[in-house]
Amino acid sequence: MNKFKECILVVEDDTQIRNFICYSLKQEGLNYLTSGTAQGALGILVSEQIDLMLLDLGLPDFDGMDVIKKVREWSEIPIIVISARDQDKEKAAALDTGADDYLTKPFFTTELMARIRVAIRHLKRQNGSNAQSIISVSGLSIDLEKHLVFLNESEIHTTPLEYKLLALFFKNIGKVLTTGYIIKEIWGVGYGTDTQALRALMSGLRRKIENNPAKPRYIITEIGIGYRLKDE
Amino acid sequence: MSEQRVGNSQNYVFQFLLMALLITASSIVGYAFRFTGFPETNIVIIYLLAVLMTSWLIDGFIFGILASVIATFAFNFFFTEPYYTFTVYDPSYFITFIIMTITALITSTLTSHVKQSALSAKEREAETKAVYNLTNHLTDAKDIHEIAGTSVKALSDCFDCNAAILCFDSNGLPELSFIQQITPEKQVRRKVDDIVTLKHRIDGLRTGYDTGTEFYDWPIYGRENILGIIRIPKERAQAMTESQIKLLHSMIESTALAMDRFMASEQRLKEREEATQERYRGNLLRSISHDLRTPLSGIMGTTEMLMDMTESHDPRYSLLENIHNDANWLHSLVENILNLTRLQEGKLILNKQMETVEEVIGSAVNRISQRAPKHEITVSVPDKLFFVPMDAKLIEQVLINLLDNSIKHTIADAEISVSVKKEENTNSAVFVVKDKGTGISTEELPYIFEIFYTSRMKSPDVKSGIGLGLAICDTIIKAHGGTIKAMNRSKCPGTEIIFTLPLEVGNNE
Repeated sequence: MNKFKECILVVEDDTQIRNFICYSLKQEGLNYLTSGTAQGALGILVSEQIDLMLLDLGLPDFDGMDVIKKVREWSEIPIIVISARDQDKEKAAALDTGADDYLTKPFFTTELMARIRVAIRHLKRQNGSNAQSIISVSGLSIDLEKHLVFLNESEIHTTPLEYKLLALFFKNIGKVLTTGYIIKEIWGVGYGTDTQALRALMSGLRRKIENNPAKPRYIITEIGIGYRLKDE
Repeated sequence: MSEQRVGNSQNYVFQFLLMALLITASSIVGYAFRFTGFPETNIVIIYLLAVLMTSWLIDGFIFGILASVIATFAFNFFFTEPYYTFTVYDPSYFITFIIMTITALITSTLTSHVKQSALSAKEREAETKAVYNLTNHLTDAKDIHEIAGTSVKALSDCFDCNAAILCFDSNGLPELSFIQQITPEKQVRRKVDDIVTLKHRIDGLRTGYDTGTEFYDWPIYGRENILGIIRIPKERAQAMTESQIKLLHSMIESTALAMDRFMASEQRLKEREEATQERYRGNLLRSISHDLRTPLSGIMGTTEMLMDMTESHDPRYSLLENIHNDANWLHSLVENILNLTRLQEGKLILNKQMETVEEVIGSAVNRISQRAPKHEITVSVPDKLFFVPMDAKLIEQVLINLLDNSIKHTIADAEISVSVKKEENTNSAVFVVKDKGTGISTEELPYIFEIFYTSRMKSPDVKSGIGLGLAICDTIIKAHGGTIKAMNRSKCPGTEIIFTLPLEVGNNE
């Protein structure tokens, strides 16, 4: 299906986990390279054409967070963190540092593959037609040029803030956006960390696009971290 | 009191006699001068000397004033013509009388002033020394009772009595016994007769001290609460002068400072210890969770991989499925144990914020649906935006645990529902999780929220999801100040679990 095979770098020190991840990647028809250390990973990133990185935070030589920071200095490749650390603060910190997604161990390989697919699609969307102004996700679409939102072909009226929020999600389909990041993007840096306004705004938007706001199809809440626009 | 007054009047008589003696003596000397033909001025000087000595030897300037007047009259009586009368022929003597009186008055006043300031300087010095000594000794004390002992000894020495001290414990309640100095070297502990009344009296104190039957009690006020009581025997306390009471206050102040300092350092030490322990525990939890999760990920991922390689009708497939399910079960157990450790041993710190119920329920349902795609969960929330103060992560955990239980005990396609509504009269949010599952037997119903309770009705080797999951829910809901209860549905089979969260922020921990 793919014209060129994406190459994925798997950075994980546990051999067993590395093995089954690689097996699954192969099944999916993807190329991969592996590294058990942060140093090795950075070396590969410099010398090879890598499209996506799976990163374990608990590496023997460096902390994974430092790897994210270092990579983000010169590269925008998608990074999916796979970690046994399950505290929200750590997840949010990794996402805010520049990781694109976060998976807690143990995880289902199906889940991992889904996240990888989302990241690759996002990558293609960015690399492909930049001029693409209409984006849609299972029935919900946005026209970034005309500032219009459609649900199953019929137009939906949104307030300017709701539109801004939805556009932010469409620019980051499938990616978890932390509450702090969203607030910064919508209200600006000076607004602080009060989440109540965002919760209210989100509730208003959901009432327009979701059948049941408590069982959302499009914008999923990741409690303690943020939100994600579901891709599929 | 009356004894003291008798002592005082005896003192006055003695002082008066002393004054009379001095004036008589100067009169005699005066006679001797006149006899030898010395000028009269010398006699005046002698009288002035008598007045000066009176004010020097006797306290208070009343005697000084009295002496100046008497001296003038005596001079008039004995040495001016006509002799032995108070009349005077030569009016120039009046000038002598007036000047003599004024000089005598000024001299006596000045003298008593000097004496007074010398006395108060001495008192101040003694006070400073006593307080300094006490403070000095208090710095060496190693615990609160040593401070108390030192203080009692200093007080007893200073006021020459058997002073005592009653310490209050860290909760601000009096201890059962107090320390009393009975000889300069020996201290004993004596039982307090009625702690409750004593405490009540000290708390309601409006004056500086409390008057008891044996002791007068002075409270030792610390920065935050009362640290103890200084007890001075009643008789000694009554006989205290103004300056002694001032000294007593200074000494109590020093004791309070020492106790406060000691308690503060104790508190700091304890806090540091707790922080260290907290850090250790955090590290331990983190490493356990890491060390357990990583191999479990390996097992689950590898079996998934093997299942992928195997045809689903192959008998090996179901064996692999079993391994996977067991690993999954082990995983949820590990998660629950970790959660419970975090919740129960550490002080549960709630990160309460205003959250919308739809998001919390939505997130929980979303997670559960990923795990159990065959079950359909119905959700109903109020149309109006509903904010509830809560720690969203923990409440999500509660919902996940409850829904997980429902799924385990309910066949696919049977009803599972979550709903929430606002209850105005109790001002709380009421969450209901219902299923049409097997329900809970009446014997078990009262125990299901207990830790490690697993279904007794089933054989021990049957895995049951009950146990930790519900205990975690119970802990979390109680920490929020809410309630949780479980019941069987009346009209159909199945379980109904209801929990509430108060809508007011604060007042619970």
